[in-house]
Amino acid sequence: MNQAAPKRILVADDSDTITTLLETALTAGGYEVLIARNGFDTYELGKSENVDLVILDHLMPGLLGLEIIERWRSEGIEVPVIVLSGVDDDRTVVSSLEVGAVDFIRKPFRLNELMARVKQRFPL
Amino acid sequence: MNGIELLRIAVLVVYIVSGLLLSSLIVGKRIHQRRQLAHYRRRAKYLALLSRGLTTPDLRVDLGPRVAEDQAFLDALIDIRTSVIGPESDELATFVGRFGVMEGYARRLRGRLFVTRRLRAAVALAEVADDSFAPVLMDHLGDREPEIRIQAARGLARMHWTPAIDAIVDRFSVENPWVRSRFEDTLLSFGSKATWPLIAYIRVNHRFESPGSAAAIRTLANLGDRDAVTPLIDILGRASDIEIKLAAIETLGVLGVPLAFESLEKMFTAEDWRLRAKAATALAKVGDPRSLPALSSGLIDSNWWVRRNAAQGLSRYPEGIRRLHAAIRSAFPFARDAAAEALADAGEVIAARQRIEEGVPTDEDLELIEFIQSELVVPG
Amino acid sequence: MTLEIIKWIGYGTVAYYVVLQVYMFALALLSGYVLRRTYHTRRFGRVNEMLSSQTSPPISILIPAYNEVAGIVDSVRSMSIVGYPRFEIVVTNDGSTDGTLEALIAAFRLEKVRIPYRPDIETARIRAFYRGRGAVDITVIDKENGGRADALNAAINAARYPYVLCTDADVVMDAAALVRGMQRVVEDRERTIGVGGNIRPLNGSRVELGHLISASVPRRMIPRMQVLEYMRTFLASRPGWSAMSALPLVSGAFGIWKRSALLEVGGYKRGHLGEDLDITMRLHRHHRDKGIPYRIVYESSAVLWTEVPDNVRVLRRQRIRWHRGLMTATRDFLPMTFNPRYGALGMVTWAGFFLFEFLAPLLEVTGWVMLPLAYALGALNTETVVLMLLLALGAGLMNSLVALWLDEPYGFYTGPEDTSRLIVIAMIESFGLRQMTVLWRIRAVLGGKRTRHWGQMERKGVANLGARA
Repeated sequence: MNQAAPKRILVADDSDTITTLLETALTAGGYEVLIARNGFDTYELGKSENVDLVILDHLMPGLLGLEIIERWRSEGIEVPVIVLSGVDDDRTVVSSLEVGAVDFIRKPFRLNELMARVKQRFPL
Repeated sequence: MNGIELLRIAVLVVYIVSGLLLSSLIVGKRIHQRRQLAHYRRRAKYLALLSRGLTTPDLRVDLGPRVAEDQAFLDALIDIRTSVIGPESDELATFVGRFGVMEGYARRLRGRLFVTRRLRAAVALAEVADDSFAPVLMDHLGDREPEIRIQAARGLARMHWTPAIDAIVDRFSVENPWVRSRFEDTLLSFGSKATWPLIAYIRVNHRFESPGSAAAIRTLANLGDRDAVTPLIDILGRASDIEIKLAAIETLGVLGVPLAFESLEKMFTAEDWRLRAKAATALAKVGDPRSLPALSSGLIDSNWWVRRNAAQGLSRYPEGIRRLHAAIRSAFPFARDAAAEALADAGEVIAARQRIEEGVPTDEDLELIEFIQSELVVPG
Repeated sequence: MTLEIIKWIGYGTVAYYVVLQVYMFALALLSGYVLRRTYHTRRFGRVNEMLSSQTSPPISILIPAYNEVAGIVDSVRSMSIVGYPRFEIVVTNDGSTDGTLEALIAAFRLEKVRIPYRPDIETARIRAFYRGRGAVDITVIDKENGGRADALNAAINAARYPYVLCTDADVVMDAAALVRGMQRVVEDRERTIGVGGNIRPLNGSRVELGHLISASVPRRMIPRMQVLEYMRTFLASRPGWSAMSALPLVSGAFGIWKRSALLEVGGYKRGHLGEDLDITMRLHRHHRDKGIPYRIVYESSAVLWTEVPDNVRVLRRQRIRWHRGLMTATRDFLPMTFNPRYGALGMVTWAGFFLFEFLAPLLEVTGWVMLPLAYALGALNTETVVLMLLLALGAGLMNSLVALWLDEPYGFYTGPEDTSRLIVIAMIESFGLRQMTVLWRIRAVLGGKRTRHWGQMERKGVANLGARA
């Protein structure tokens, strides 16, 4: 992989606050950002576009976040996924990790913590 | 006036009113839609602006003070504020404070009319203002409007303004249940600082007033501060009101300290089934293996809830699981069913089925699965 | 002499109709006032906070299901991500023959279990219990067919929490509905035993896997008429009734109940065609007769979307079933009608149901016959007849427009197409559609034991509604 090319991150959330915020922050951090607002678009973009990381909201219209991850994995798409969720529930965390997510962040989140975790996925 | 004149007037009135309604529907809708669209566009603009402000804090942003009067701005601000916690949002507060917005809101809040405006001002202060505005919010903890009281408490909690704790706790007895439950939530933000004011309140009030004291006790459970255990054991011993006892039992369970074991065990032999049922759950949570005999006896208690909670409680201990398996052979159908449920909830049924599939089942596994597969006879 | 009688009967029926519309208008004004007052607090009441609050009372969502294979999985799934802090879902498979149970078992990886089930309310035979161990507690009761009321009773028996939400298998509900409903419970935990929700027809709206994406007014007339009807009752009547502490009906599609209260009155009445009306009135009667302080309220911001019949055949069956249910209820609660001992419930709302729902079809049909007769026989002059007709039509139109007006703040129907469709239906409703429903109700009164079942609506399933209407 070309080290110089910016990493592509897919941000999937139905809340425009989150997408605007993350898009701004990630772009400022030097990443290229794609946005999806519902489950189906997220699934499609993850399949068709070459993304390096996905940050997705677990509750979106259309497919559930966890279902999207399951589908990707069953089709051989191994892109790392960070799950964001407003549901404060241990079961959700465990289910997310079981299904193949690499990280789980509860909403509301600390922006610089999220950015740190993103950075961590791309060690120089 | 005769009948037909009356009729004519009635028809006229009805059609005029209909016409007014119709036109306001059509026209009103168009106006409303345009406003909505403009609002949405402005909000998106502010979102982008505020996001940039958060990521590059020393960014020079050209925002006039008037923009802060814009509801769209407030919406964007609150949305970002609720998505993001931590140091950045304090920067958000300072950022916005530069424009003198918060003073404007404080002024509005103090006004007398226009509940909506006052409420919005309260929300703004609650979400974004820094603690120089704490005195304003303190003043409004006793506001006429319940929703404003709630926002005041929320704001003070966010600011971690400790003098507010006593003021909020003191209101437990006078507030209506809805406001009180929201106050309970706000106290959680203060963390363990709220523990002793709550305990003080309970100590003073539990003899006279029950709902507020019970709520205060339950808040201690949500706070999770184990310092509360000893005072609660004491209160449980002294209290006479059953709601207070129930709250205390529940809280002691949640706090999960084995020290509480003896008081809870005593409750397990109480007359009132509610106390026994709550004690069963609490004993399990407290995690003291001395609970096992009590819980086992709970399986054949006369009350259905006690039996069920006892079974669920047993499933938390490895030795308890064994006893539950044994209970599958019990003569009492409820004990069998309660045990089966608790085992299923603890994942034992899946484990048993798996071991059967792998060819290494224990006798207990076979017994359990056989019981589940057997014909269901609902007891009369 | 007969001419005089005919004339007065003609006057009488028009007067009756006008009184009905005046009553509805007054009710609409009261409802509007109530809605406006609560609108502000609801807007700022932060749903998210209550969603993560530990003080929210736990609730069991009960779903009776008979031959719902088309949409049951999506429906349960949409309920399971409702995000409420503590809740469980209890589905009763009421002897389905289309694979509903199997679909549930597969989708949620359910396993057969035993639970300490207590038949506090007697039901048809229970065959087995199933539990799922995923993110949400799902219990499925497999039993022999017994009807919706029976299925709900079994679920009530099995429910673990002190509050239950009785709903249906083909609804679209979001977390806010549940939270707002429970908010009314938390406000007055001691007294609140029931909360009714705001039902809206889903037809014509975009739904994906159990989520409402956007709402639209259906193009077809049959469902469109129902959109208006539902608005009239849920926006212009129920808030008013609730404010008078006289809510006669908590709809079956969304009813939060205190479980112990349901057990006290013996649960739903098996085989009753209007079991939701029956249980509400029985709870009222029980608590008032015993002098137990209570309240049953309506929450307008607890919005729930459900599929309504989109063709004449199914609608007809539904309306006949409703009216027969109403007839049974009228008979059962006759002593409460116009009885001051039951306050506004007896004197206003239940009396209103009796006069304006039960008697309505009979009186209206009388009017249809008498007016032309009177005119033909010369008892009434042309101008009078025309004015009376105009008045009747206009009053109906006015009330429909009021309902549309009350709907505005909800912001569901925003497109110009939506507004025009609604206005059109408000205008043409009285030219045939309403009359059709009146005739069906007459049919219901006259007899016919045929429609005893639930109303086999062809379940298109929540997932597939899309462009159909």
